[in-house]
Amino acid sequence: MKSATWENIFKGWNSSESATVHTLKQVPIFKELTDKEFNELEKLIHHRKYNEGDFVFKNRATGEGMYIIMEGSVKITLGTKSDNESILAELSEGDFFGELALFDDEPRSANAIATQDSELLGFFTQDLMTLQERNPVLGQKILFNLGGVLGERLRGTNSLLIKAQSNK
Amino acid sequence: MDQTTNYFQLIYRVILSLIGVWFLSIIWPYISDVVLMLVFAFLFTTVLLSSVDSLERKIGNRGLSVLAVVLMILIVFGTFIGSFISQMSYQAKDFSNRIDKETLTAEFSKLGDQLTAALPNFMKDMQSTNGDMAGKLSEIVNTTIGSLASMAGAIGNFMFIATMVFIFTIILLAEYHGFRKSLVNIIPNKYFEVGLKLIYNIEKSVSSYLRGQFLSALSVAAMSVAGLLILNLFGANLTLTIFIGIIAGLANLIPLIGPFVGMVPAILIAFMNNIGNDVATAHMLFGVLPSPFFIFDIILMFLVVQQIEGNLITPALVGKSVGLHPMLVMIALLVGGTILGPLGMLFAVPATGVLKVIFKEIVFVKKNAHLL
Repeated sequence: MKSATWENIFKGWNSSESATVHTLKQVPIFKELTDKEFNELEKLIHHRKYNEGDFVFKNRATGEGMYIIMEGSVKITLGTKSDNESILAELSEGDFFGELALFDDEPRSANAIATQDSELLGFFTQDLMTLQERNPVLGQKILFNLGGVLGERLRGTNSLLIKAQSNK
Repeated sequence: MDQTTNYFQLIYRVILSLIGVWFLSIIWPYISDVVLMLVFAFLFTTVLLSSVDSLERKIGNRGLSVLAVVLMILIVFGTFIGSFISQMSYQAKDFSNRIDKETLTAEFSKLGDQLTAALPNFMKDMQSTNGDMAGKLSEIVNTTIGSLASMAGAIGNFMFIATMVFIFTIILLAEYHGFRKSLVNIIPNKYFEVGLKLIYNIEKSVSSYLRGQFLSALSVAAMSVAGLLILNLFGANLTLTIFIGIIAGLANLIPLIGPFVGMVPAILIAFMNNIGNDVATAHMLFGVLPSPFFIFDIILMFLVVQQIEGNLITPALVGKSVGLHPMLVMIALLVGGTILGPLGMLFAVPATGVLKVIFKEIVFVKKNAHLL
């Protein structure tokens, strides 16, 4: 027979990781974080649900941070009407977007629209600052990883630019 | 058709708002105390949050950090109150040993004579007899002593409120980031990022205001203590200087009126310590203005402290943390004072600052409604 007392004392031991932590582990911004740090991060992350066709954010709106797709899919577009809409990217589970807003106060540079019922994880400037205040080691790890991701994207843009110039 | 729908929506909203206000006015007497406790707890949390966060960063445990900060505050506060009470009772005992009622009345009569002698002739005619003045002053002292007993009940009520505020503050400090997250979670998707920014701006505005106020109170306390010690060098015979300084610093938190309230304890102590001392009674400020018991010296010292604080220290420390027009500050103080008394005056400026932030965000949202 199971004892409720012992069950409560050892509650949380050998517990499997949550779906949130599982999603966060796929994001390069959170690579090399320990399990304890993932749990710390999970406390700050915001869960948001969007129906198909809902805007996550609109082009030129104020941006406060990044989103990670936990479930569903999102398209990044310019223009909202069906005739002038150009799709820049289609993102699915584990992908992330809007990370530039973590660093600057500039407005969003594109629309983000849910293409099916989706659950997103939000990580915002204020969360990063709180983390920096409460657990600077974790905050620095994330900032360093963010720098790496942005550097990688810049390198990608550069090679596309070089390719475009050489094709002229 | 659209126009009609808009009118209906507007009427519906106005009726709903009126019902809301009516309902709030009915339940307000029952919830006002709790709301006040929560507001106090929130303000204390805002002041202490960065200390708890910094300690958590060092020891890695939120609960222990809250406990350590709260214990430290309790020890400092307990030591302050304890030594204040013991020194005050010593002061009162000493005063009552030195002065009996007859001597007090004689002193008042002497003081009345001196004041009348110093007045210009046309003002002397306006004065009633000196005996009346001495009688009234004695009466005021006796009434004050008599009303001390009724203060006991008020102190009991204050202790209850203080305990509740203390408990709320501990809970808020321990769970602040969780509460904040829950609040953010209820914002609809459409207003999510705007709401997030609004909460952040309110937090920033309140915490920078409170930190600025704390630093300016500290500077007033330090300068007042220094000023009182300087006055003692000239024979003012002031005791409890540190307590007077701290009270002046705390009173300074209430704009416009506070600085004058801060002078009262110093004047009382000067009076208590110097009564019966002929040199202090006949003291002249700069050898020109009669300043019995150094009263005008004390007032001048506090005025100098306030000028330094208001013109040099606060602009440097606080800057434009809330950025309110002086006229708006005065209106806010009057409204706060009318609704909640001295407490309302204490909260009037930060509350107006918060309203200003909200108003600014609403204007921004209205302007950019197409982006939501």
